[in-house]
Amino acid sequence: MDTVIEVEGLRKAYRRVRGSRTVAVDGLDLAVPRGGVFGFLGPNGAGKTTTIRCLLGLVRPTGGRCRLLGEEPAGVHKVIGRVGSIVESPAMYPRFSATRNLELLGRISRIGRTRVREVLDQVGLAERADDQVKTYSLGMKQRLGIAGALLKDPEVLILDEPANGLDPAGIVEVRELMRRLGNEGRTVFVSSHILTEVQQTADRVAILAKGRQVATGPVHEVLTAGHATGLLVRLDDVPEGLRILGEAGIDARADDGFIRVGLPPADAARVTRTLADRGLYLTELRADEADLETVFLELTGGASTEGAR
Amino acid sequence: MSGLLASEFRRFRSRRLVKVLVALEVLVIVATGVIVFLTQEYALVGLPDVLMGTSLVLVSVGWILGASAIGADWHAGHVTTILSWEPRRGRVLIAKIAAALTSVFVVSLVIQALLAIALAVAAAGAGSTTGADAAWLAESAGVALRVAALSTIFAGFGFGLASAGRNTAVALGVGFGYLVIVENLVRGLRPQWTPGLLTDNAGLFVVDSPIDFPLLGRSTIGAGLYLAALGAALLLAATALFRTRDVH
Repeated sequence: MDTVIEVEGLRKAYRRVRGSRTVAVDGLDLAVPRGGVFGFLGPNGAGKTTTIRCLLGLVRPTGGRCRLLGEEPAGVHKVIGRVGSIVESPAMYPRFSATRNLELLGRISRIGRTRVREVLDQVGLAERADDQVKTYSLGMKQRLGIAGALLKDPEVLILDEPANGLDPAGIVEVRELMRRLGNEGRTVFVSSHILTEVQQTADRVAILAKGRQVATGPVHEVLTAGHATGLLVRLDDVPEGLRILGEAGIDARADDGFIRVGLPPADAARVTRTLADRGLYLTELRADEADLETVFLELTGGASTEGAR
Repeated sequence: MSGLLASEFRRFRSRRLVKVLVALEVLVIVATGVIVFLTQEYALVGLPDVLMGTSLVLVSVGWILGASAIGADWHAGHVTTILSWEPRRGRVLIAKIAAALTSVFVVSLVIQALLAIALAVAAAGAGSTTGADAAWLAESAGVALRVAALSTIFAGFGFGLASAGRNTAVALGVGFGYLVIVENLVRGLRPQWTPGLLTDNAGLFVVDSPIDFPLLGRSTIGAGLYLAALGAALLLAATALFRTRDVH
């Protein structure tokens, strides 16, 4: 597998004033393949931002290794031109316009005004490009940060909570942007705690808890791992439905107005046919699959370790 | 590196604090010129003393600008943003130092030049230009260059402290506390340590009169080199810290 991010046994501990240590990342292993959207999930304090800072060379790992496009933090300058990033809230000069802020950044890599205008247009800020950033809403500032990350036309985008502060329309825009960038063959590595967004956007995810990876893989696999999949059936006469399905030898039980059927989604036709043959018609039929939120809460214990980040 | 330097120069001159302080200085110069023109017969031959008199203000402004050049970036989180574009920290800090110190030197020279022009106009109109010969010009230029150099050195002190403390206020507080409290205590309690004091060496460097600073035991150039060496050491230490510490 061609990986753009490799993390092996990464550990980062911060020393506190009184000598004790806070472990932010504790033996993390991670492999992010090239192309597509990779969701990096975890509760506050799980070590997501620290991992990103290690990858970018902003903090030094206490142990283990991490590589971005094959380069360890000490050599990350060799590949930084191919990487766009937002780490936590993007810092911009509030009294400068968006254009001026991006021009200042672009000047470091000799990126001209044309590209600045392109990315501002891409994130929907073209009309406010010459306004001072201090007049922007939180969502607009977030979009400006994304524009800054896109400025280098990067093959890898590292976005730390990009949907922070965005309204629903802004969240949808960012989701579509990430999906589009992922479909273009870029790798979008996005840390988030907005699980529904990640579920709709990401191809693969990794879930962190207390500095360790607790699950990783394609979204569908993570959702089904450890969860019996089945079907949820809604109809008007639940007791009659249970009786008919039982007579047909199909495992079924009532659950909160539904019938939970112990057959895989691929066998849905058997259920509909069995019920329809006996004059019972479904009002709803869907796969009984855990959502990412449920899986996330189960894997992480639902605990936030905020403050350890 | 040139892109980084260009970016840092533009960043420095775009900052509001820089604009406000320079505007204030220009305003004071204009007001001084007008007042001198209206109220007295100014003798231009005294210009070197006037330029020496600007040193306290220009050194203070240099210290503030040097400190805020990095302190404000730490405060606002821009250091993280810049390092995600250029992770070689040494280069980033050197570019910032170069932009801040060069800018402070140029600002100090320009401010003194504007003041000299304002006073020359006032003297030509309602005072005296007698004695303003080549020797006077050389002396005035020498004072202006030394004051600008001193402002630059103190900008380096401010930058170094703000970089280590990751805050402008740290540099200003430490600087004020050291210069006003520590140096005065040392001067009173340990006069034999006077050769190491910043203020005495700065005074000698600007005034260019070793006889007025007998305890220092060094020349004007020696005082300048001593201060420059201290500034360089502080900036080297700040760079070493910047290269090794985590950035949050």
